Amino acid sequence: MRKWQALIAAVFLFAALFVPLLALTDYTLQILFRVFLFAALGLAWNLVGGYAGQLSLGHAAYFGVGAYGLALFSKVGISPWASVLLGVGLAVISAAMIGKVSFRLRGPYFALCTIAFAEVLRLVAKNLPNVTGGDVGVQVPLLFPHSSIRCFYWSGVLLTSFALALSAWIERSRFGYYLMAIREDQDTALSVGVNAARSKLWALLISAAITGLGGALYASMFLFIVPDQVLPMDISTEIAIVAMLGGAGTLIGPLVGSVVLECAAEIFKNIFKEAHLLIYGVLIVVVVLFMPEGIVGTIVSKLALFKKTPSAPFAAPGRATAEEESQRVAIDK
Amino acid sequence: MSLLEVKHVSKRFGGLKAINDVSFLVKPGEVTFIVGPNGAGKTTLFNLITSVFHADSGSIHFEGRDISHLTPNGAAQIGIGRTFQLVKPLRNLTVLENVMLGAFLRTSSPSKAEKEATKVLAFLQMENVAHLPARGMGLPTLKRLEIARALATQPKLILLDEVVAGMPTSEAIKLALLLKRLPEWGISTIGGIEHVMQVVMRIADRVIVLDHGVLIAEGAPQDVVHRPEVIEAYLGSKYKEIAL
Repeated sequence: MRKWQALIAAVFLFAALFVPLLALTDYTLQILFRVFLFAALGLAWNLVGGYAGQLSLGHAAYFGVGAYGLALFSKVGISPWASVLLGVGLAVISAAMIGKVSFRLRGPYFALCTIAFAEVLRLVAKNLPNVTGGDVGVQVPLLFPHSSIRCFYWSGVLLTSFALALSAWIERSRFGYYLMAIREDQDTALSVGVNAARSKLWALLISAAITGLGGALYASMFLFIVPDQVLPMDISTEIAIVAMLGGAGTLIGPLVGSVVLECAAEIFKNIFKEAHLLIYGVLIVVVVLFMPEGIVGTIVSKLALFKKTPSAPFAAPGRATAEEESQRVAIDK
Repeated sequence: MSLLEVKHVSKRFGGLKAINDVSFLVKPGEVTFIVGPNGAGKTTLFNLITSVFHADSGSIHFEGRDISHLTPNGAAQIGIGRTFQLVKPLRNLTVLENVMLGAFLRTSSPSKAEKEATKVLAFLQMENVAHLPARGMGLPTLKRLEIARALATQPKLILLDEVVAGMPTSEAIKLALLLKRLPEWGISTIGGIEHVMQVVMRIADRVIVLDHGVLIAEGAPQDVVHRPEVIEAYLGSKYKEIAL
């Protein structure tokens, strides 16, 4: 099943590289950029929220730090791509600090803690006009020589491909097993020597790096950012919803989720005008109610039912040895 | 030299003295069983040895090293494996993957971990369920899975908490006979059991009896079960004289 998922995703992403060769409007390409951007963000979130099962609702923090990193470092004269790297570094550092504190908590308390950190960052960005420009905003340099939307689209596809390849590798590695063990039962993970705190932190650092990179790309496309655009709760929830809709803890779930959700959002916006958010909300509720494992998760478990069932439902006792038989007789007496 | 040395350990939860000045030794290759009625402190003692809790006073030494202030994962790393009384499988992973998780403590290669896990599953006669998800398994299988996961970490000492509780006697005996072979692998065992005495008598080299957190008897199994204080702990003072 994992191999099939990887194959489908690889073919899909390869085909996606050629889409700009079709005569598409800039508007369409911008929507498609958003699809792949959120696929990459969802895949990054999936490492923490899916595999490791830690419901982070504050990924906007790393997104915003990446975006502001690009804007502010280049404002002081550093070249744009170097600023992107510094921004990603800053996102990783903030993830280390946020993770160190919030991973002390489990379950809903962890989720609340991540929301709080993201909100603090947003309010700081709003109230430091000398540094961030506050609500007036700050200019972001263009990352590509031609202000062509195609370049953004391709970088989105590449970022998604990178995030997907990384997820596939992690999923099969010891690190991936550790994350899944932490999700399933942290006490069990500890009992076999898993350093749960360290594994969760590593997952978050990797996730934050990709998210920060995504934030920088997004900011560069708009050329101008304000705190409410790159650090709001909406970004955090959208990242989480994309991954959960597609299937948290599955390899290609976030990619599928992003394609479905972002396309649906755009179509509804055109058809239903003002009512589109209502439809969007209903769609999410329906999926959560009827497909709690997400689209890919549900398909995988339905397919598993068709697999050949083994002869014995649980470890059927093997044939008793002579020694066992005699012991049993002795006990029955 | 002793493998594990528990020295004057006490642990209190609020007003309850769960473990009160308990001391004992475990020699390498020995099968020790801690028996005692419900609430005697068996699980608390296991949680102290694996550093899930830390003792209020006293110390625990493993291979001569003080392990009183380790972390639970640190205890696993130095070679103390454990099972949980209330089974804690990784429900959405297969049985094999559950056991591989244990094997990953000693190797980072998935293929090596799979090999080690397969070996352990074969020993516990669970090969036929290796590729099924753990969530569909019955209690006897899950109890075995607990042992398999702990064995895959290649421990020097394994703590089995109520490993046969809730099983049919025939299953319990089969499992006990497998556990009897653990010293061949160089693994010492501490089992905790409430009342399945057939298993204890069959495989224990030594029995420790706990009652309300106090160690009340220690010795060879046949010896210990006839002591008046043990009978009193299980049956109450009223029946002590009848039983004797």
